[in-house]
Amino acid sequence: MITAGIDVGSLTSKAVIMKDGKILSSIILKSKPRPWESADLAINGVLEKTGLSMKDINCCVGTGYGRDKIPFIHQARSEIACHAKGARWLMPSARTVIDIGGQDCKVMKLDEKGEMVKFITNDKCASGTGRFLEVMAKAMGVELSELGELSARSKNPVTLASACTVWAQADVIQHLNEMIPIEDIAAGINNAMASRVATLVSSIGIEKEVCMTGGVAKNSGVVSSLEKTLGIRIKKIRRDDPQLAGAIGAANYAETLLNGGKI
Amino acid sequence: MRKELKEYNFDWMLWNAFASAARLKSGTEKEYQNTLKYIPYFKGVVEPIMECGEPGRKFLEMSAKYLENIVHAKERGFKTAVTTFCFSPAIFYAMDIIPVGLEVISVMMTFTYKRGTADFLDFCNEAGFTETSCSSQRGTIGAYLAGVGAEIDLIVTDSPGVCDTNANAFAFASAYLDKPFFQLDMPPDLTGERSDEYHREDYKALIKFLEEHTGKKLEPEKLKACLDELQKQDNIIAELEEMARIIPSPIPVVYNLFVYASRFLFAGMPECTLVLESMLKNASENAALKRPGLKSGREKIRAFFCYIDHYAQNLQLWQMLEREEISYCGNILSRLWAENVPHVKEYGKEEAAYSVDTASIDSMINTLAGINSRMPMIKSIRGPYDAPNMWLEDTLALAKMYSTDVIVYNGTPGCRNTWGMVKLLARDTEAAGYPTYIMYSDAFDERVQSWEATEERFLEFLKVRRII
Repeated sequence: MITAGIDVGSLTSKAVIMKDGKILSSIILKSKPRPWESADLAINGVLEKTGLSMKDINCCVGTGYGRDKIPFIHQARSEIACHAKGARWLMPSARTVIDIGGQDCKVMKLDEKGEMVKFITNDKCASGTGRFLEVMAKAMGVELSELGELSARSKNPVTLASACTVWAQADVIQHLNEMIPIEDIAAGINNAMASRVATLVSSIGIEKEVCMTGGVAKNSGVVSSLEKTLGIRIKKIRRDDPQLAGAIGAANYAETLLNGGKI
Repeated sequence: MRKELKEYNFDWMLWNAFASAARLKSGTEKEYQNTLKYIPYFKGVVEPIMECGEPGRKFLEMSAKYLENIVHAKERGFKTAVTTFCFSPAIFYAMDIIPVGLEVISVMMTFTYKRGTADFLDFCNEAGFTETSCSSQRGTIGAYLAGVGAEIDLIVTDSPGVCDTNANAFAFASAYLDKPFFQLDMPPDLTGERSDEYHREDYKALIKFLEEHTGKKLEPEKLKACLDELQKQDNIIAELEEMARIIPSPIPVVYNLFVYASRFLFAGMPECTLVLESMLKNASENAALKRPGLKSGREKIRAFFCYIDHYAQNLQLWQMLEREEISYCGNILSRLWAENVPHVKEYGKEEAAYSVDTASIDSMINTLAGINSRMPMIKSIRGPYDAPNMWLEDTLALAKMYSTDVIVYNGTPGCRNTWGMVKLLARDTEAAGYPTYIMYSDAFDERVQSWEATEERFLEFLKVRRII
């Protein structure tokens, strides 16, 4: 049984192909302006890696912002549902899932069976999302992936005057002009991000184990700052890339559909 | 503000839109269908309202009449008073003053125009009013500040201490437009002789203010006629409320809006009574036939909104409720605290209710004060000394009484009054066994969050909590 999950996000699009519950291949790409273009690129890319074609896929489920515009999927499912499902696959002991995507942040609580029982999403604001980090990295002239490593070397993190993305960016530029070490600015950025997310996590209530999904889960600086702020340990996902959680969840749902279940 | 918006008065355009809409069914069905093609946006409002039959048509007629009164007030020799939905307009009608209810007009614009009140919201900021204020007043007051509405004579509110964001909008308008301004205050207690005395004196001062600025004396007989009509309206609403308890509810989802809008627009006037009577007739037929108010004929769940609705263009909230087969158990706007409404008796809240007493001018003033101090925001959200947990108690009581499956709050930090407390409210309603959804959205400004995003998150909540 071969299933596919596709997650067309605001910043990146992800696709996975799974066979009997195991990942055959996956892909993460920058999203295009049109969701169907992103979906086409992602599915073709992931199929190419496996040598399979679309007709080999028994069922495909889509998620993410552009899910309703993906022409080749059998069904669409919300990001919240897919991320919870994917997180459960990635870490079966997870009860609290923090997902920081490109333009939103969600926290989901799962019960012992892995069913989602509660969720909360951020209000409309870029701070507390992947986009915030992307803007800051650009302002600093570093790669997004470097932020975590840089902040680990910080001795004296700066405090950003505001968690608003635009104002924070102005602060970052100001700090750069004042020759503040780049490591301290990076740590300040990650702390600002973590404090926004921590408020959301605390409001829903934390239950162990806690894991993080989404691209920001790969930023060790944010993860460690979140751990410090919340006073908890966030278990690292090792089974696969945490950014794939939504696509994995979608593929899991595709499997449920094939088995005659309702999603 | 865009130049074209200054070409015509906004309230004149709104009046024309509603007046034309109310007449749409006067011709043949074919003519009606053909006309809808020419109102691609507004038809999203007109169609679902007209589908309600006579109550819908009467509701549109009433809305048009309200706007007509504002637009033609000057040539007909009436003064106009900008006021709030928390203020029962009966006293204005008794004194031949045309009320201009900011929030209800904002709802009309939000329903009707694709951009809603966006330009006028922004104009308020241009004029110097804070962008963090409540959008329900800002949407309409912006138009009056910009000088693209009928002439305003007076500004009257009763929200200081209840909702200061609301009160600030009126204070700003008064200062900007240089218009006489009166604010009724609320005493710290809801009940008791001390409060009654406070209200009486305050009301007398209001009446004096109105007399001074209109040059007309309050005629007790006119006030009595308004209060008699209001009593009639309260009786009808009490009957509708009683019927809303039936499972499945025979009350169509949009009736809740009709009830509160009618009261906000024409409390104490026959225009309101006509709409209510028509609704009562239809709902009674539904109840007699055991027919649900939902168009599909099936009630999946029942929802109670513990604050206000969402007024995105085309009645999208109500259309979603219809589509998802959710019976609407109302919100705090539709709940009145007359002594005869079911929830007052059911929960032994007689001491918190008002009664209509037209025996003397003092008793009529007491009645008006009683009504005003129990208007939606004032009664439920304020939390006076003698009822500090009013919002929670009211919400739980109403949710239980109407056998609701889910409680929904709709709002943003723009509503300081409720946003500041809603998480604790949700904590307690959840603890009481009611799944409670905090719907983050600005009911009057889709730019904060689109209705589509709001709806998607709400439906996800229902799914996750296995409510639907």
